[in-house]
Amino acid sequence: MESDAKLKELHPLEVKVLRRFSPGEDITREGMSGLFGNPSHCNQAVSWLTAKGFLVETGRTSRTVYELGELGQEYLAKGSLEQRIVALLGRMGPLALPSLAEELGVEAKDVGSAFGVLVKEGALAMDALKRAMLKDASKAVSSSRLAALLSRFSSAKSIEESELSPEERETASANARRRGSSKSAFRAVEREDVTWRLTAAGEEARRGLERLGMTGEETGALTPEMLKTGSWKDRSFRRYNTNVPPVRVLAGRRNPYCSFLERLKDKLASLGFEEFDGPLVETDFWNCDALFMPQFHSARDIHDVYHVKDPTKAERIEQPYLDQVAAAHENGWTTGSRGWGYRFDREFTRRLVLRSQGTVLSARTLPHAKVPGKYFGVVRCFRYDKVDATHLSDFYQTEGIVLGEEVNLRTLLGLLKMFAEEVAGAREVKYVPGFFPYTEPSVEVHIKHPTLGWFELGGSGIFRPEVTEPLGVKVPVLAWGLGIDRMAMMSTGIRDIRELFTQEIEPVRLRRAR
Amino acid sequence: MPKIDVNEQLFFSTLGRRFAKDELEALLPVAKAELDDWPEGGGVLRIELNDTNRPDLWSTLGLARQLAIYLTGKVPSYPFFSRAGAMKDAADRKVVVDAGLKDIRPFIGSFVVEGRQVTDALLREIIQSQEKLCGNFGRKRKTVAMGVSRADLISWPVHYGAADPDKTRFVPLDFPRPLSMRQILTEHPKGRDYGALVAGFPKFPLLTDGKGEVLTFPPVINSALIGGVKPGDSRLFIDLTGPDLEVILTACAIAACDFADMGFRVLPVAVEYPWDTPYGRRVVTPYYFQKEVVLETAEAGRRLGEAFQPEEAAGFIRRMGNGVRVEGSRLHVAPPEYRNDFLHPVDAVEEIMISRGMASFQPIMPRDFTVGRISAAEEFGRKVREIMVGLGYQEMIYNYLGSRADFVDRMGSDGADLVEIANPMTESAAVVRNSILPSLLGSEAASAHAVYPHRIFETGKTVVKDASQNTGSRTLNSLGLLWADREAGFNDVNAHVQALFYYLALEPELSALEDTRFITGRCAELRVAGRRVGLMGEVHPAVLERWGIQMPCAVAEFDLDAMR
Repeated sequence: MESDAKLKELHPLEVKVLRRFSPGEDITREGMSGLFGNPSHCNQAVSWLTAKGFLVETGRTSRTVYELGELGQEYLAKGSLEQRIVALLGRMGPLALPSLAEELGVEAKDVGSAFGVLVKEGALAMDALKRAMLKDASKAVSSSRLAALLSRFSSAKSIEESELSPEERETASANARRRGSSKSAFRAVEREDVTWRLTAAGEEARRGLERLGMTGEETGALTPEMLKTGSWKDRSFRRYNTNVPPVRVLAGRRNPYCSFLERLKDKLASLGFEEFDGPLVETDFWNCDALFMPQFHSARDIHDVYHVKDPTKAERIEQPYLDQVAAAHENGWTTGSRGWGYRFDREFTRRLVLRSQGTVLSARTLPHAKVPGKYFGVVRCFRYDKVDATHLSDFYQTEGIVLGEEVNLRTLLGLLKMFAEEVAGAREVKYVPGFFPYTEPSVEVHIKHPTLGWFELGGSGIFRPEVTEPLGVKVPVLAWGLGIDRMAMMSTGIRDIRELFTQEIEPVRLRRAR
Repeated sequence: MPKIDVNEQLFFSTLGRRFAKDELEALLPVAKAELDDWPEGGGVLRIELNDTNRPDLWSTLGLARQLAIYLTGKVPSYPFFSRAGAMKDAADRKVVVDAGLKDIRPFIGSFVVEGRQVTDALLREIIQSQEKLCGNFGRKRKTVAMGVSRADLISWPVHYGAADPDKTRFVPLDFPRPLSMRQILTEHPKGRDYGALVAGFPKFPLLTDGKGEVLTFPPVINSALIGGVKPGDSRLFIDLTGPDLEVILTACAIAACDFADMGFRVLPVAVEYPWDTPYGRRVVTPYYFQKEVVLETAEAGRRLGEAFQPEEAAGFIRRMGNGVRVEGSRLHVAPPEYRNDFLHPVDAVEEIMISRGMASFQPIMPRDFTVGRISAAEEFGRKVREIMVGLGYQEMIYNYLGSRADFVDRMGSDGADLVEIANPMTESAAVVRNSILPSLLGSEAASAHAVYPHRIFETGKTVVKDASQNTGSRTLNSLGLLWADREAGFNDVNAHVQALFYYLALEPELSALEDTRFITGRCAELRVAGRRVGLMGEVHPAVLERWGIQMPCAVAEFDLDAMR
């Protein structure tokens, strides 16, 4: 039993065939003529229906059909060569064979064989001067038979062998393959007649189609013309198989990682933070010195940051910050610190490096920051690190600062809690003492992420007075940073951090953001 | 962040009892430490220490000491420290420093330990503390090198001299025959590792005893004889050398406290300098040089968001092992011998935070009102990205570091405006990109198998040299786009670019541009109000060939800052 759904999926060609023929009726190509605009549709419909088991072949016979050949076309227009020889000799009197060929514009050997036939029939003869002469035009039997047969083709493209008289059959066959001639007057074509019949399943499908009122004449695409003329009103529309897989669309699309970063920026802006940004090439001064990292610190070694080849140093460092920061390193300046107790190197501080931490931009923001003020940046940083599944040499850091009289450890914890809940969607938060060279106290926040479990979301602290005061800030400043890579990887569904920046187009096109 | 292997048995015996994993994890934040790994039955805990200014914690004993103080409130005493005006008796134990070392490696701290036999386990501990102290804190022995020698073989006084590297020969540790000091630099593995620290000096530092026998060649290698400490030895001579006196005194203090905690008696050694130091010409080490920091109780309260009574705050600070004297509202904090990380009174504030416990501070929301906003560049970038997506382009995001091969050779450009890295780790990250186009072509080269057409773009940063800038370069916000397809060409990309400019309400003026990266006559420069904003064109087949790309590409690149 064929379901209606299956029937509705039948192609219009199939429907038309099923509807045209009754059970038990022979189905032939002739019978299908008129159903389709294009004869090849007939073959398609039959092969589809046979494959579905709706049709079965019941007979196959061969027969010969004659069609007009190239020479036949010419004879039909100008008469056969024999006819033309007889006519020419009748008009001009006896002619030598070469002159005859020349007059008719044909090859001498063709004239020769035609002359031979006509002499044999008694229509022509050779005179004493070896010229062809007309003897009795009525005796040219074969050429008149040929002419008669040709005339039948003036109204038919092809004629079945069975429709020819024995005499015509003989003429057709003789002229179909003339020995030694490249062209022939007729072509004999072998034709196969196949008959099919509806199977039981086909009969059932036919009844189903009748019941559904499907004729195969349903309209495919709705066209503007149908709308313009209103002809759609007289049509019924073909049902499409909605389960056919569609073609692939190559859409314009955002990169899921970029979208993630954008959402992060929006979130931070919504929490009252103003975005900062800055150059990728920095001085050692802003990258480390302004953050009170001593110049002799192991993190300042050559192999921890990327240095710029040319120029190697900035022209100058902004004043009065240079003097104040240098003094803070040497002896604490006026901050109440004892300083690091070494001689600050003012050449070293001008060295150019690739920004190694986002906190650089926090430091750069301090001299012109508003109080109270909140700032953030989602910025590219560079580390002298081997690249592997969890490390990149070139990556994003999310950092920021809060300035104001109300900044203290408890508001810092409050801020971290807000980040944990708002940015990471965490419900459980744990704080542990942390360490950063530029903050005191320092706190790390660990969160229980809904899917990732416990991990360190970020670090935070109150900038040391040796950082803020030399940069002209009198109020306490809270500095924070968030590690968002794990959330980004989860959000973009990747496991290897290198894939965040993959060059390959296909995985990016296929990646779905969660 | 240093990680140390903690001897489980030694650690828990110092703490007084065994701890379960979760119990230990809850305690470790007191030392800003985290349990990294604790394999079953290994006898070793792997612990990460987060505070790079607390090298005293980088040993089993140092870490156990801090935790034990916190747990018991008992502060250990180290009576062998000298102080200004109160030098300990060093008997005949003396190190005489040669004037010639002043510009080479001038400072040394030293002491002798006795009263316990060195076992295999202790030797491993000593070697690990030495490695952390010299490797991490001492910056690969640059600022701290530590030598351990056999005190029984030493004839006093010890001489810390500047030796002729070619004439001085001795048998170095782990080597079969005598070498000159200069030969050690090339022939001994330690010489190859650390030789660079002294190679540039005319003379090399050398410790010899009263009979001229070599103890050690700091910071490179011990001698095989006096420097060859073995299990079973019970008297050791310790030396710490380096270019900074306070760093050396700190390292010396840490090492001495560790040995004391191991059960050794620590005997001071007098160091005599031929020049003035901040602590005099004769410094008996270990030496305590810390100054008190003075903390106003109210300042601590402001920073922590809680009000404290002075005695209450003092109690919290003491519990971390510090000495505290209360004078009215002021707390005079004296750090313990093994610490040198109190630079400012705020450093004492953190002691209160840790001691009182993070959980005792209730988070409160900041209440100051501030206006949040994304930057103008970001806002403009979003407009551009929205239009590019609408035009059917897939957004990409790339690394900013790349290879010279991609950014210069394959593009066939001279790289004149390219910022290069002086110390690249790999060739694949040796330059900062000056254009997004090589990033995009790299994508195309890697994506020949992906269904066409390829339409991709990125908005991101590029850096170009600019002599007018203080740093010699300028960072730009750029847009790059690429269209790769059988029929991709100038006209198509032009149509998209014009659509982009239309929706950005910009009127570009086009002019033909000669650029070897593009097919001649199929490249145009765009200007807005006379200002150059970018270019577009059909990539030259020679460029495509160098990238291994077999599909025509049309590209464009714009300076978004110039369009804003």
